[in-house]
Amino acid sequence: MTKTAIHVDHIARIEGHGNVHLVIEDGQVKTCEMNVVEPARLFESMVKGRHFSEIPYIASRICGICSASHVVTDLLAIEHIFGIEVSERTKALRDLLVYGSYLQNHATHLFVFAAPDFVGHASVFPLADEAPDLFEQALALKALGNELCTKVGGRSVHPITAVVGGFTHEITADEYLDLAQKMEAMIPFAEATVDLFQSFEVPAIATEGDMLAMVAPDHYAVADARAARFLHAGIEFDPDDVEEHLEEYVVSHSAALFARVRETQQPYFTGALSRLNASWTQLSSQAKVASAKAGVRPPVKNPYFNNLAQAIELVDALEHCSTLCRLLAGEKGGIPGTSRPVSFDICAGKGVGFTEAPRGALFHELELDGEGRVVSASIMTPTAQNVANLEADMRQLAELLIGEGKDEESIRGEVEKLVRAYDPCLSCSVH
Amino acid sequence: MAGAGIINTNQVVYRPRVVVVGLASCFGCQLQITNIESHLMELLGQIDLTYWQLASSDPMPQYFDVAIIEGAVTTQESVETVRTLRRKADTLIAIGACATTGGIPGMAGGSLGLADRAAEVYEKGSLPEACGEMCVPRPISSVVKVDAEVRCCPIDSYDFVKTLHRLVYGSNRAQLTSTLCGECKRNETTCFYAEGTLCLGLITRSGCGARCVNLGRPCNGCAGLSPDANVDSARDACVRYGVSVERFDKALEMFNQFELDAVLEQEQAQKAQDKDEATTNQASSEADASDTGSRG
Repeated sequence: MTKTAIHVDHIARIEGHGNVHLVIEDGQVKTCEMNVVEPARLFESMVKGRHFSEIPYIASRICGICSASHVVTDLLAIEHIFGIEVSERTKALRDLLVYGSYLQNHATHLFVFAAPDFVGHASVFPLADEAPDLFEQALALKALGNELCTKVGGRSVHPITAVVGGFTHEITADEYLDLAQKMEAMIPFAEATVDLFQSFEVPAIATEGDMLAMVAPDHYAVADARAARFLHAGIEFDPDDVEEHLEEYVVSHSAALFARVRETQQPYFTGALSRLNASWTQLSSQAKVASAKAGVRPPVKNPYFNNLAQAIELVDALEHCSTLCRLLAGEKGGIPGTSRPVSFDICAGKGVGFTEAPRGALFHELELDGEGRVVSASIMTPTAQNVANLEADMRQLAELLIGEGKDEESIRGEVEKLVRAYDPCLSCSVH
Repeated sequence: MAGAGIINTNQVVYRPRVVVVGLASCFGCQLQITNIESHLMELLGQIDLTYWQLASSDPMPQYFDVAIIEGAVTTQESVETVRTLRRKADTLIAIGACATTGGIPGMAGGSLGLADRAAEVYEKGSLPEACGEMCVPRPISSVVKVDAEVRCCPIDSYDFVKTLHRLVYGSNRAQLTSTLCGECKRNETTCFYAEGTLCLGLITRSGCGARCVNLGRPCNGCAGLSPDANVDSARDACVRYGVSVERFDKALEMFNQFELDAVLEQEQAQKAQDKDEATTNQASSEADASDTGSRG
């Protein structure tokens, strides 16, 4: 009997702490585990009894990179409970915040985390000498995401200005126009990023799990729709009913809860690739062209293509943000009114906030009492939802590579690449 | 720090070997380091960044000079990690609220026990092994000596660079201890208390320039309690301006739970001691009285 055990302890270049354990006996994958060892911070317990106004601020601290998404998702949950209708300007600013975190996240993930694998480096830093133009532009793209979040939210990590009912601060029309111009100038580099990731070879696997994404009839929705859809099962649901369709369960080897579709008991993928599959026809014009040119059209089931999907979303986000910034600056009729927080009454109730965070569907379920204090909270992060599907894909990948007679070292390398393609945020997954 | 302090441009410069380690946190402070895009390569040119799991798959080296730690200590395993880093590094820097005060994860301490909290999040009795052996969340300084701190949630990127420079090149610049209110006075912003709105600037350590207040949002206290803070006086101010003292106390927990628990423990110990002394004094005065009586 031949037995190979592949252990990757503390996978580098991902957010958080995780290990992979893969045991292969006589050409068969016996064990395939993604071991999430991130310390539990117990957010759902610590927010209990606290005033609603503190909750988005606290929830932001679940994750540095998707902090804007956690804030917006909590605000949506609270406003849904209180029956608050915010202004169009506030909605546009929230879209900008979420898109800002797409730019930050996707640029960081693609260049700092994923790209070194494909060019044979331990980190992105050698590229500063080898490909200075690419390195500079990648940093500039990431910096633009930070600038957008800072201008709209007050800082690049953990936004300040987004509160229940609106925003406490807004930039000037000139600053919006300056941002719009910078977004437009960055589009060619984002398109080149799509080409770059299209040129990287990846193993031919196809996820057998389902895919989950926010859907809207007329646009590529990231923060303003109240419909989620399992693409394969064809199940569409209101976020308030999330627990009827999404089942979380405990496994011993992971501090993150796992998830599956309740009806079909299948694991699923959520993230850029699911969004692309769900809303491809609603991509911005340049993003759609870049995607078609790269040969990416739904259905796309290879999880490695999540990298490519993120690159396509960069083009989409830049185009959307420049349009929004021009409108906020008052061009083409603009978005009239103000983003100042609207007044509201506090009442008891239960509601779910839902956004597409950079890494996928994010749900915050809150129950508040008559004084606006939290009775219970439940947070479902994209990575926690993805880990079960990642394990299934990892098993499929290992079987494929064993069949091709690949050695331990190359299996290890490909497995790490697959984990990174999922862009896991393990600190998010154990919150 | 070995080799640091004197930089001679004509000679080979010794670059301190630096490791960056993350404990229980959101990784936001490490991101803030990557967010100094324009200065990143310059900064990296001044140090030898030998281990940074977030950005590189190079393994942790055996020897290094500076350890930068983000995150709170929340498990026995992380207590050991911090002790090991302290043993190996000449200089240890704690970055961010989690590492300097226990921060938001610190809120899981307090009156409700950790085990009860864990049972609320995971199904009862099914806490995954992967969670490790959990302990009350605490700042790095409660486990080992910390040489420098970069406060706030998240850290300010430039504050981090300044701190690193101070250690690499040497500086006798003192750390701020005053409360945030002074910064608002200098910025000439209107005080939230004037409109009856809670703000923790009254007791929070200054240094951030009142970033949140400048953007129309009250201070949530992420820099932690100022050594100059007068918490009782702040409570009086709440009463004067019609702000709920209960809300003030609750808000204080957000970044100060560990310190509040420590103060409470001290007070209880003091009370117990006072009680002991009182009993002893009473006993001795009774004894004195009986002595006097016998003398009389």
